[in-house]
Amino acid sequence: MEPDNDVALDIIITNVVCVFRTRCHLNLRKIALEGSNVIYKRDFGKVLMKLRKPKITASIWSSGKIICAGATSEEDAKLGARRLARCLQKLGFKVVKFTEFKVVNVLAVCTMPFEIRLPEFTKSNRPLASYEPELHPAALYRIKDIKATLQVFSTGSITVTAPSVQFIGTAIEQIYPLVFECRKTRT
Amino acid sequence: MKIPVSEVEWRTKTEASETEPLKTCGKNKTAACKMMMANSNPVPKLYRSIIEDVIEGVREIFADEGVEEQVLKDLQKMWESKIMQSKAVEGFVKDTLNPSNFVLQLPANFSQALQKTASIVIPAGQNVQNFTTDMNSTGTSATFTLPPGVGYPVQIPAGVTLQTSSGHLYKVNVPVMVTRAPGGQRILQQPIQHLAEQRNQVVGQASIVHPNTIPVQATVIQGFPSQRKEVFQQCSTQPLLQQQQLVIGQGVQPRPAAIQQPIGIQQQVPVSQVLMQPNDCENHKSVETPRYTQQQAGVIQGSGTPPLTSDQLSSLDDIPDLQQFITNQSSDTIEMIHKDGGGGQGVGVETSSKSEYGDAKTSNPEYEVECSSQVMIQTKDFNYNAIEDILQLDGTYDTSSDEDVGNMREVGGNEFVGENEFMGAIDTEDLKALEEDRSSSTEKSSSDGEDDEPRVEIIEEDPLNSGDDVSEQDVPDLFDTDNVIVCQYDKIHRSKNRWKFYLKDGVMSFGGKDYAFSKAIGEAEW
Repeated sequence: MEPDNDVALDIIITNVVCVFRTRCHLNLRKIALEGSNVIYKRDFGKVLMKLRKPKITASIWSSGKIICAGATSEEDAKLGARRLARCLQKLGFKVVKFTEFKVVNVLAVCTMPFEIRLPEFTKSNRPLASYEPELHPAALYRIKDIKATLQVFSTGSITVTAPSVQFIGTAIEQIYPLVFECRKTRT
Repeated sequence: MKIPVSEVEWRTKTEASETEPLKTCGKNKTAACKMMMANSNPVPKLYRSIIEDVIEGVREIFADEGVEEQVLKDLQKMWESKIMQSKAVEGFVKDTLNPSNFVLQLPANFSQALQKTASIVIPAGQNVQNFTTDMNSTGTSATFTLPPGVGYPVQIPAGVTLQTSSGHLYKVNVPVMVTRAPGGQRILQQPIQHLAEQRNQVVGQASIVHPNTIPVQATVIQGFPSQRKEVFQQCSTQPLLQQQQLVIGQGVQPRPAAIQQPIGIQQQVPVSQVLMQPNDCENHKSVETPRYTQQQAGVIQGSGTPPLTSDQLSSLDDIPDLQQFITNQSSDTIEMIHKDGGGGQGVGVETSSKSEYGDAKTSNPEYEVECSSQVMIQTKDFNYNAIEDILQLDGTYDTSSDEDVGNMREVGGNEFVGENEFMGAIDTEDLKALEEDRSSSTEKSSSDGEDDEPRVEIIEEDPLNSGDDVSEQDVPDLFDTDNVIVCQYDKIHRSKNRWKFYLKDGVMSFGGKDYAFSKAIGEAEW
């Protein structure tokens, strides 16, 4: 929706994590015994429920808080979360509500058409960028205001995690000129 | 345990495994093969033991409560009948059979016969039998060990020597059908006595049975539609012991019985008589001084299988005496056949009269099998002094193990061992997402996520309840089968959507049948 610069970059959303509350206590044991496609993690006090249709895995706590991960879009995440709540309702927890739905984290990948020189990039973006090749092959770049974290690889691939899809777009737009300057031109 | 096989599969295995070792047996006359059939069914025994344990356990409680013993018996009967009605267990017979190892020793040249007789045919509905074949250096014939709890009737091909766990040897010259008959025991009593007497007389003597002089009379155990006949030769360890000769003859061409073997002579006189069908086994007679073994050389076979060699005979020394008890229909006279002689001709005789030694070859093609009322081979009912469970077709059996549980739903009280999968799940999901090539258009839902948040609580509460179409979880409903496993787990492992199950000590209901296993390994994809 927001215009890219001149270049059309494909931002691929790989993971959307969201949370919501059911506003009621959940009997994990009952969910584990009667639900389908569930894994009971008794030691951690949660039940994992996997859905096939929007491919999501949800962690369910007895407090009624549910974290839903694995969706590929925000719409999908919401749909999956609602399906999950519906599933719990069918299990017998009539009081289940779908409240306080919030997308917590979005993971996206974007590939630049050029390679990047990371040492140069890091030097020119000193406080925000950090690069430890011995630890991790990518340079880490944080944008504080939108709370986005970008991993810049020398291949030109950039991994972005941000609270929402919109912020991801913003982050990509911000990083593009910085990366463009440090690109490797074919010699 | 492997997943148990159906009857059909079992038969396939039976035939296959029968022919293979027999081929080697054919080459080596002194070779003894044991065939191992891995198709026993431990479930009936297991269930039976469970029932008995429970009944015993509550017997006291019932008594304390003042409940009658009859109620307890009714409970047990109802339980058993329900199990049988459900048909979930194969061969769950009410009467417990005395399990005894029943070892079949085949003559060396039995391979031909056996190959033609194919597998030992078990009537449908009977318990699976296990046949164990090993290369036995000492033995001279193929040895089958039939599992305990085998159901009756059982067909035994010709040329098989049956040996009970007590060591008595029965030579089967004619394909036999072994069933249980309550009256058989009585029938044999007399002949046995008579035989005992005869034997005493005969011991140490070479007696010659002249052909045509000794109408062989064999008690027909059962007739075969295939018109094969088997002769059971029974060896008893002691001459004084009651000895049975069980011979089933049918469809054997009459021939002058010419089984003559002086005692101590390790050769066999070819018996020209009774010929069973060419495919049938041969009767062998071997004579041993203290013990009586009858063998007919090349008698019943169309093939020129040589008589048992001295090797075989010597190997049979360890075996109790064989006696043949032959009664035929065609003749009413029963004459005692001395140890040596084995009147080859099968003569139909009432079993109530004296029994005869000799190989039973049915003389009359139209020889009809004695009705089952004269079933000679019995399991529990026999009270012979020497022979207890004659022709108990029991033996060792394997337990089968399950594999590839597949999409079985596990119902167990065990909880899963926890792994910290939450973080792992996210990571794997991320990685999976990264690995997968997803190209989605750049979806940038603008401020929907955040703007809706204050409204979410109000709006979403209602739609959730009415949003029935939101939850379409029909796929799991397909999963609801009646196949259930109740077991313990060693390890349950999951990688992404690949599951691996390492289970132990369980029972399962699969396809309406019950199976038990001590170990089960399964793989599944979700």
